[in-house]
Formats: sequence, C-alpha cells, structure tokens
Amino acid sequence: MADEFEKGLGGLETGPETSGGVGPEPSFETEVEHPSVAALREEFGDAILRHELHAGDEHVIYIEASRNRGILRWLRDAPDQRYDFLADVTGVDYGGGRPIQVVYQLWSIPHKRALRVKVELPLRSLEVDSVVPVWSTANWLEREVYDLFGVEFIGHPDLRRIMMPENYAEGHPLRKDFPLRGRFSRAEQTRRALSYDLEVFYTPQELEILKDRDWERAQQRAKAQQADRGDFPDDREDSRDPRDEGVEAEVAEEQE
Amino acid sequence: MGLEGVGTQLPVVGSGKDGSPGFLTTKLDFVVNWARRNSLWPMPFGTACCAIEMMASYASRYDVARFGMERMSFSPRQADLLICAGRVSYKMAPVLRKIWDQMPQPKWSISMGACASSGGVFDAYSMVQGIDTIIPVDVYVPGCPPRPEGLIYGILMLQEKIKGESLSKGIHEEIRREDPDRVSRPNLPADVIEQIAGPFGNSTKQNKSSGLVSTRALSRPRDRRP
Repeated sequence: MADEFEKGLGGLETGPETSGGVGPEPSFETEVEHPSVAALREEFGDAILRHELHAGDEHVIYIEASRNRGILRWLRDAPDQRYDFLADVTGVDYGGGRPIQVVYQLWSIPHKRALRVKVELPLRSLEVDSVVPVWSTANWLEREVYDLFGVEFIGHPDLRRIMMPENYAEGHPLRKDFPLRGRFSRAEQTRRALSYDLEVFYTPQELEILKDRDWERAQQRAKAQQADRGDFPDDREDSRDPRDEGVEAEVAEEQE
Repeated sequence: MGLEGVGTQLPVVGSGKDGSPGFLTTKLDFVVNWARRNSLWPMPFGTACCAIEMMASYASRYDVARFGMERMSFSPRQADLLICAGRVSYKMAPVLRKIWDQMPQPKWSISMGACASSGGVFDAYSMVQGIDTIIPVDVYVPGCPPRPEGLIYGILMLQEKIKGESLSKGIHEEIRREDPDRVSRPNLPADVIEQIAGPFGNSTKQNKSSGLVSTRALSRPRDRRP
C-alpha cells in the first residue's frame, strides 16, 4: 500500500507514464481536407512532419522546429493562406521525458480558417526561433512560454519572465518535473517574495506605463526645468541612465 | 476597560500601584475606543471572489455603513482597517506588505476567506499560505467565500476587540507594537512559517500535520446523545 502511495506521488513529480515507452505518437492521418495542409506539403515537403485531426475538425500540423519561422511567415503571407492573426502561443509538456511542444494557434481573417501548428522540442535543447518578427503579438506570448516552460526563443527582443517575479529562481513551474509546491521552503519563498523590490527590476517608464515618446518628452521637460531653475544638478554618474545620453546632449546644446 | 469598571474605581485617579489603569484613563479609553471602533475606514484589498462578497457587504442589502464603515478608503494613508479578501500570490505579497506598512497606527486587519487565512485549496508554488505570514492579522473570517453576514460578524468581533484595548502605557504598546525591523519583512519567523504552511496532505497521503493520522477523532462526551 505504501509503495503504491509512493509510486503515485512519484507520478505527480514526473507526469503520467507512457504506455509504450517514449516514442512517436500514433499518427491520425485523415481524409478530411484542409486547404492549407496540402499547400504546406507541396511547398515545404519534408519539413511538414505529420498532420492530425482532433475533435472532428481541428487540424494540427507538426513542423520541423528549425524551420518554424519561415513556414509561419509563409502561412501569414501566401495569398491563399493569409493567417494574419496569431491567436495564441502556448507550450505543452506531456511529461515522461517526451518533447515539449510549442503550439501556434492561427486564424485567417480573410479566409475564415483556423490552423494549429506545433513544433516539438527535445528537453535537452529547448530552443526555437522567435516569431516576433512575423507577428508582434508573439512578444508577450513567447515570454509566457519562456517563463513557465523554459523554452528559449532565439531572436526575441525582450525575453524575460512575465508572470513569475523577476527574482524567481526555482525554475519553470509548468514543467512536469516541477514539484507542485516549488523547490524552496515556504519560509524562503516568503522571504524572497518580500525582498522583491519593483523599482530594481522595472524602469519608471514601465511602472508608470508611459509610451516611449511620452517618456522622452517628460524627461526633456524635467531636465529643461532643472536647467532653468539651476538646482538639482544631475551630475551623479550612477544616477544616469545610458538611454538618456542623446537627450542630455540635446539639452546641453540648448544650454550653450 | 469599558464603563463597567467605573463604579468600583470611581474615587481613585491614577491609583494603580500594580499598573492597573485608574478612573480617568478608563473613561478616556472608553471614549477613544468608542470613536475608533465606530468609524473604521477599511482599505479593501480584494483579489478574488471574496471581494465580490465584500462588495455585497457594502451594498444596500447588508450595508456595513450601519457599523460606521461608510467610507471605503482606497488610500492606505487614510485607512485603519485592511480587509484582505481573496488569495494572495507571492508576486502580490510585497504589495500587501507595503500597503500595510503605509497605513498609520492604530490599524487592524481582517483576513477574509479560506485563501487569505490559510492558502485554501491553492497549496501551490505561487500562493502565500496565509497572509499572517506577511502581516499581523486580527480577525480571520472562514468561508469560501464567506457570506456578507460572515464578514459583518468578523467586523463586529473586531469592534469587540477594539473595545478591549487601552491607551495605558504598557497595555497599548503591547497590543499595537510593531517592530520597525519587520517592515517589509515576513511577519513570522521562518520556523513558524514552515510549521503553519506545512502541507495538509491529500486523500492518498497524510502527514503529521493533517490531523487524520496523527490524532484520533475528538472525543467529547457531551456531544454524544444518550
């Protein structure tokens, strides 16, 4: 009895066991046609690994991870495809050492078609090209997948945590090998949470939710006012933001 | 320290050789506590479904304003009661602690609902296991979520508690003292946090704090019917 308890608890840590070992899943080849599938096969050939049909009419395409950006860009731009709306980017970990999947949920507004594209990443190399250059909405979605699954998106402009605190050091919580209550003790988690200072990790720009343009203008106004009053000399090296150098040069020119 | 002590201590002013408060202090305590408990300004910290019930408590049917809580204070500087309604994640913990630190003394707090009091069903990596690890708590209101009657009962209990406080030196400091070193730090020492945040086990595995394996069922003879 106790052994079964321990086994069950082990299963909680590693995810459900696979029935037939770790291997390719059975392919559900189907006769139902999806116009994008044939076109993809014709265009990219071997890079289209397999095609599945879920829940009657949900088409799932597995593509080669190393070519994801080119294929997805083609899906967005080709006149017969036009998947111009990236609805979601998510990750899936089925546990048991199986590869982590990154799922792109696409919707074509002109053609009113949906397509689900998946890439499979082995646990030892969780890297895939970012699709932010294709759909800019992928920025936060890929940050979420990075935060919770640890998938590195190559070429992402700002890859950092989005949901867990910036000083979170326990790993990526939605992975199946992540213990439910975290890796640290509750006291350590509480201490770390309370030692988390927002102003260390976010610029005032992010905390005040200003647009870049507004932020620069506000900076210029503040510096001009300081120069007019002649007080609050902003000379301290450590308080200077390297991004402000251009602004400072302009202000210096105006003063001269 | 209410009016009930007035009759016995009437002629004595500042009598207390043993530190007990005299007549004048008792009378002042009564007035001050009467004013404090009947004009609590709550700072709502609503994070989840408990906040819906809290809003219902403030609406016309239940109307907490009957008890002097007419004004919801959305600024911690003008509040003296923190109602934490809902679960608090670790990412939200420094926010809760900072709001509590910003409130001026005297201040009280109510932990509303199972999640705020103990973590509730969210015994997971991201959730604070009871806000008393973060801030001191005066009244816990159980429920998931508590009905408005539950919150109002908790508020009345807090008013009873305020009624018993005293301005007298010693007693007042003991009740309301906060170590300045604990500002923006956990409210409890690490070993206590470990103890109260320990997992309660599940249906297949019980541990020592679950109560189902380490102790027997409570045996109270007067609960049994003859």
